[in-house]
Amino acid sequence: MNALTAPGFPEEQVRARARHGTAEVFPHPATYGARLFGPSPAAAPPQDDLDRARVVPPVFMPQRLEKLIDLAREPEFGDVDLTTRAGGLTARLPLYLSAFGSTRAGSGDLALHASRQAARLGIPMVIGENMIPVHGYRRADDTTRSALLARVEAYLEAAPEGTGGVVVQQSTEDADSEVWNLLYSDPATRPLLETGRLAFELKTGQGAKPGLGGMTVVGREEAARLARRFTVQEVFGPDDDHRLRCATPGTFTDEILRQQLRFMRNNFPRARTWVKFHPGRDIAHAARTAWAAGADAVTVDGAEGGTGWAPGVFLDQVGLPLAECLRRIGRPAGCLLATGGMWEGGRVLRALALGATAVGLGRAALIAVDEDPEHGLERLADSIALELRLLISALGKYTVTGLDADDLWWPADPATTASADPAHPADDRSGDVSGDRSGAQAGAPEGTS
Amino acid sequence: MDRTLRAGAPGTPPPLGEHLRSSRLRAAMLVQQEALQAARDFLRGEGFTELLPPLVGPVTDPGGRGAKALDVDYYGHPYKLMTSAILYKQASLRGFPKLFYIAPNVRVEPEETATTGRHLVEFHQIDVEIADATREDAQEIAAGLLTRVAEHVWTAVPGLLSELGRREEDFADIRGGKYDVCTHEEAVRRLLAAGHPQNPDGEIDWTGERLLSLESDRAFFVNDYPKGSRGFYDREDPDNPGVLRNFDLIAPHGYGELVSGSEREADYATIVTRMRESGENPAKYAWYLQEARDGIPASAGFGMGLQRLVRFLTGLDALWQVSAYPKLPGAVTP
Repeated sequence: MNALTAPGFPEEQVRARARHGTAEVFPHPATYGARLFGPSPAAAPPQDDLDRARVVPPVFMPQRLEKLIDLAREPEFGDVDLTTRAGGLTARLPLYLSAFGSTRAGSGDLALHASRQAARLGIPMVIGENMIPVHGYRRADDTTRSALLARVEAYLEAAPEGTGGVVVQQSTEDADSEVWNLLYSDPATRPLLETGRLAFELKTGQGAKPGLGGMTVVGREEAARLARRFTVQEVFGPDDDHRLRCATPGTFTDEILRQQLRFMRNNFPRARTWVKFHPGRDIAHAARTAWAAGADAVTVDGAEGGTGWAPGVFLDQVGLPLAECLRRIGRPAGCLLATGGMWEGGRVLRALALGATAVGLGRAALIAVDEDPEHGLERLADSIALELRLLISALGKYTVTGLDADDLWWPADPATTASADPAHPADDRSGDVSGDRSGAQAGAPEGTS
Repeated sequence: MDRTLRAGAPGTPPPLGEHLRSSRLRAAMLVQQEALQAARDFLRGEGFTELLPPLVGPVTDPGGRGAKALDVDYYGHPYKLMTSAILYKQASLRGFPKLFYIAPNVRVEPEETATTGRHLVEFHQIDVEIADATREDAQEIAAGLLTRVAEHVWTAVPGLLSELGRREEDFADIRGGKYDVCTHEEAVRRLLAAGHPQNPDGEIDWTGERLLSLESDRAFFVNDYPKGSRGFYDREDPDNPGVLRNFDLIAPHGYGELVSGSEREADYATIVTRMRESGENPAKYAWYLQEARDGIPASAGFGMGLQRLVRFLTGLDALWQVSAYPKLPGAVTP
């Protein structure tokens, strides 16, 4: 396949996991007994602050003793229960399939394959905004299935009873198309409603371009068709066949958010209510407001997130990193979900330890399905699940909810701390500590408490 | 749902031809035409002008409770069949300060409402709006209208009502103009005390409404619904933020809601903000917002469900029994 590329994302590692699953958690077995292992010098540099934190098991483990008493035998990593309640839905793993948006990468066959695999994994699936304004919905005179309904059906066919669920986003343009209304009364979604597995996600923003609405690149012809619902701009030049289609981000104040959530709960009482925020500087206030208004889940999309098209300046320079979002939120007052650069167990565990109940797979899921449409996402999830079991049991814990911030430690910032810089060992021995450096060291132990 | 409520759940309509030939429908239609005559006489006597409402438009009442509007392709533009003509009522006030419609409406209600006995996809409202009026003014008209209609049908067709099993004494309070009043907060408290899980931020659910109606011997107004439970056009109480200056009128003995009404938002900026709060995109309401910018009078008004009114008068179990051409939610019928 390899139709997709994701520069800046550990694409090769994700593709390897999609092919080999849990085998990728370990060094190649042929090297066993023949090579001495230590910290890998070739390890990918940390993507961000969240990746810098080390997972730090204690020596004494009272919770392991509890598990030992419970089992009447020594607990093993296989005893870790990864089942969680994510936004009112039961997830077999602390994972869910993030929205892909209405980009070309996110619709069509790849998304269908991802839906089936998410269903088989028993994890919730979020379907992105703007599917209906862009791709349409089934109408009385149109028997073809819309992209959205096709994904719902693919999921339902494969989902084990009682697990997972389908979460459907609605943006401002979706509201015009009344996406939630259409779905809530569609017989196709009745099996989800009757089993409490339908949720609606109010989308207020996204990590890839905080403060902006959705953007996609469309051809000239499609642009003409969409021009009534969206702003379409010729940013690529008048002679280029491509056009930029922009959705509006929507206006929110705390009162608008509170009332929209009430409205959702009132109009769709049998659906769960999720809210997705971009990594805004007032993320803690926003999350508190949403939980207080009865949101079943708050999703925070870190600035590292995004399957979507975005201006370079936004990808590189705008929005809070996920770690800072989680730090600002602190102990969550409700179910917190996190997305942004998730693809392996370590980063997932760090997000869980910082308060998330489950994390979303976006780009990683798309790449995995692109690598192997039948089982790529399942293998990727299996590898993450194994790493989580290993890590959580190493921490002396056996449930996802047992994790907390004590399980992480941030080393001093290598960029500002001389002693952590192996390139200048002589400086450390000389005792010649400059004012600059001691200042940096004084400020270094951020997040270690 | 408990056994007593299910016992009241009505069956489904027979084939249309059989339904149209039934003596029960004939009786209901004779009561309906008397009710309509009385309503028109009463409102005309109060100085109202009857207009005929629009059927389609670029937008309609966004409504709530999961009901949706039907789409119409209007010369290539996506139009809606009217779920209610509230926006047009407000826009008409400068020319017609006291107006009413007998308005046909279409709402594709969620399928779970098919068994409430109180929902039809096609229905009619006696739709009233009064410029420069308060909620209490609107309630006085709504109460007066119900009183006049009850008085008239018991004068004009008492035999029909008796044959249907109605007792004249059950209408004594309404004919005497006696109505009770409570607030949404009190109604929620009563339901919670009765063990019914009612969301305090929301509309009173179907079962809750039926419980309140069943335990009451007198028609009553429920005032002050919370913001978020109703459309953006219901006015927020400036002295009590989060609470709307609106009301329902609930019939006694389990017949449930007959009327929804409110003071209206008329201030442009408030309307736009309230649209956002209810998840609406203001851009699609362009024509209405232009009217609001130009100045819509403050007003209050209400809609009285005609089929609900006739069901209450006749004492029949379900709305489909008082509609000649009933369409139940989720049922694909002619």
